[in-house]
Amino acid sequence: MRDIIRMVVVLTSIAAASGIALSAVYRITREPIEYQSIKFVKEPAVKKVLTGYDNDPIADRKKIVVGTDERGRPLEVTVFPAKRGGEVFAVAIEGRGKGYHGTIGVMVGIGKDGGVLDIGITSHSETPGVGSKVTEPSFTDQFRGLKGTVAVDALSGATYSSRGVVMAVEQAAGLVERFREELF
Amino acid sequence: MSLRDEFTKGLWQTVPPFRLVLGLCPTLAVTTTGVNGIGMGLATTFVLIFSNLFVSLLRKLIPPQVRIASFIVIIASFVVIVELVMQAYFYTLFKVLGIFIPLIVVNCIILGRAEAFASRNNPLMALADGLGIGLGFTISLFVLGCIREVLGSGTILGVFIMWPGFEPFTFMLKPPGAFVALGIVLGFMNLISHWQARR
Repeated sequence: MRDIIRMVVVLTSIAAASGIALSAVYRITREPIEYQSIKFVKEPAVKKVLTGYDNDPIADRKKIVVGTDERGRPLEVTVFPAKRGGEVFAVAIEGRGKGYHGTIGVMVGIGKDGGVLDIGITSHSETPGVGSKVTEPSFTDQFRGLKGTVAVDALSGATYSSRGVVMAVEQAAGLVERFREELF
Repeated sequence: MSLRDEFTKGLWQTVPPFRLVLGLCPTLAVTTTGVNGIGMGLATTFVLIFSNLFVSLLRKLIPPQVRIASFIVIIASFVVIVELVMQAYFYTLFKVLGIFIPLIVVNCIILGRAEAFASRNNPLMALADGLGIGLGFTISLFVLGCIREVLGSGTILGVFIMWPGFEPFTFMLKPPGAFVALGIVLGFMNLISHWQARR
């Protein structure tokens, strides 16, 4: 009996000590980890869709609450503002659309007038060689300068993927329109 | 055995992937470049040093019936620490090593040293053992990584060193290439030991 108590006590204390240590490390590394994922995943796309700014859009990023999910927790979207002389003239925002396989994430640069500056695909799982062609400049360049209704030539054989990108761009543009006062 | 012997045995006599032939999963999977080899090796060394130290400190406290569970909890904690720190400060390396970092938990070198050495020796000896085996593992992975990098992509630490027009053997970057490289290095090490024994 004494053996069993000893086993339980020792193993429990080791597990508890390791739990405490890990939560401390987690608290310390949480901020840098978030920063890294923004830097390595989002930054290349943000740099592609925004030009002519003199601030650091990554450092100046802000979160806007766009609604609540089914459990009532706030849904946040990160916005990257581009400033010139302290004035925001464009923002980069990520929109999501449903492609042929799963969700397509699109970083969209939107000017103060509501027009699309440029887009960059951040994540997708479309069919390689068919739907994946939506990431190519020949498709994404069509979005430059569009305003209001998004009308582009779909890729032949990849209607769903093309539509997914359009949906994502429209969603991003819609968000910018809705939160215009907060953003500019 | 002295502290020095415990340290140096890990560098040649019992160098993990070649002599003990342990920890082959990360050895074969991540050594496509020299840098990856060093990264994986140092991550493992860190875990090995601290798990050895703690296992050795707690060796009189841990009842034998729950020793494996206790060792694994200790090892897993340090692996998670490595994973979080790497993700926070060395993100590019973290993306390459990815799934193999959590798998250090079940790396048999680490549990093997905890069970066979750290749980029977004082903390100082355990530290020397962990450092030696860890460095041996790091050097082995680095050597393997360099061989595969030179043959597979013509570069060493990212710098192109082969002659112009060199056609890389992409085979060396694939899993079978890892076995071939491992086998060749192991063969050379046996040859050297054989010569030494004859003299």
